[in-house]
Amino acid sequence: MTLIKTWFADLEVQDRTIIGSYVCPSDLPSVVARLQAEDYADFDKRYRGVFREMAIQSHFVNAEPEYVAILRAAAISRARAQITRAFSQPDARITQLIDAIDDIDESINLLSERLAEWCGLEFEQVNQPVASAIAPGPSIRGPLAQELAISIGQLRELRQSIADAIERKMHTTAPNVSSLAGELLGARLIARAGGLEALARMPSSKIQVMGASKALFKHLKYGSKPPKHGLIFQHPLVRGSPAGNRGKIARAIAAKIAIAARLDFYSKQAYPALMAQLERRINDLQKPIRRDPV
Amino acid sequence: MYAKPHRIPGVYLVGKHLATRGSVAYGERALGEYRLWDPRRSKLAALLKKEADVPLNSEQIVLYLGAASGTTVSHLADIVSLIYAVEFAPRAARDLIFMAEKRTNIIPLFSDASRPDYGHIVELVDLLYQDIAQKKQAEIAITNAEMFLKSNGYACIFIKARSIDVTAKPKTVYRTQVKKLGEVFDIIRVHELGPFYKDHAAAIARLK
Repeated sequence: MTLIKTWFADLEVQDRTIIGSYVCPSDLPSVVARLQAEDYADFDKRYRGVFREMAIQSHFVNAEPEYVAILRAAAISRARAQITRAFSQPDARITQLIDAIDDIDESINLLSERLAEWCGLEFEQVNQPVASAIAPGPSIRGPLAQELAISIGQLRELRQSIADAIERKMHTTAPNVSSLAGELLGARLIARAGGLEALARMPSSKIQVMGASKALFKHLKYGSKPPKHGLIFQHPLVRGSPAGNRGKIARAIAAKIAIAARLDFYSKQAYPALMAQLERRINDLQKPIRRDPV
Repeated sequence: MYAKPHRIPGVYLVGKHLATRGSVAYGERALGEYRLWDPRRSKLAALLKKEADVPLNSEQIVLYLGAASGTTVSHLADIVSLIYAVEFAPRAARDLIFMAEKRTNIIPLFSDASRPDYGHIVELVDLLYQDIAQKKQAEIAITNAEMFLKSNGYACIFIKARSIDVTAKPKTVYRTQVKKLGEVFDIIRVHELGPFYKDHAAAIARLK
């Protein structure tokens, strides 16, 4: 006797005849619920060839077209629910937010350039950080230009509120990565990795060069020097160090971020000692290597 | 324009373009009810353009791994009888579902083909169609074929050399992948997909 669990029924089969069964009611909600809950065990392949016959024999459906129609409807609503769930995971939200920031930055730059050209701002003004040069004020003439300047200002406010939201979300979903990498860089790493789980499963070497794929593949293909840092170049400890030390420091930070991501994903607890360890390590790395006098 | 039937039933040649008959799915060009099938957007179309003998017919039930947003799936659905379409990327799967809602013979599954959790859903299939960019694509094909492909059933497996090893020569990658597939399949033929797709090949095979 074999027990065969299918999406429409649990069937006890002996010598290719059904001797006992639980058949799911064939209305959509029941079938969807069964598709969701089903835990699956493999069975002899030849039974797979007679799913439709078994569904008819067990009176789940009357005919084959009905089999396909019910399964299709149930599969669509199951997949819909699963995708909604996947998109509402906190790390999926963080990815959306960080992408939104990048898009807004691009828009702010584009619009600011347009405004600068529109108003014929002096060269010095344009060359200033855009934030200070473009503000609604006496230097901008004409009501439409004023409006554009206001819109840019609003985009800048929006960017700030998104950044705040990322910080809050990062503190709750990835406290350890946030404390090591900072909320925005941490969010970027999660987004690039494709989620917190993906980041937690990543070797630190990959975290170190993530975002430098062009240089990495150039290295793998043609043997150029390997990249020292990708996204984590943005880390103040990497960026702020002398060029000769950056590789070592990037490696140390990536290693700690790898541990932090695993803590965040698997234990979800903050572990404040990490940052202290990293600081100590970097302190060691920054000491010049002492050579004994010959 | 005059549409000629292709060697494969359900596929047409409109001028020099491949086409299938159905309703427009993703904004492709259509002439009447003939939807043009661009070999640069669909590897299956590229394979047909290369005169490959793809085992397709109107009776088939297909397990399609790596359905993506459903561009190829929508054309294949015009040709075969039923498609179980598996996709694991949420973004692509969303588009796939929108498409499946407009057709009656696509069953979308949001699952990871390397860990098949659709054993209670998918019946025995006539054709395994696989287009996934993963290092373990040969292993995935074997696992799924052993579970879902009927004996002597066909498989059409796309090999993306760049996903398996960026540093190796594509031809070397094809050879090692085909060798792996040879454990459970009889390989009928391997087609390269240039110039439509760079560093891609397709293996047409039959389950031993």
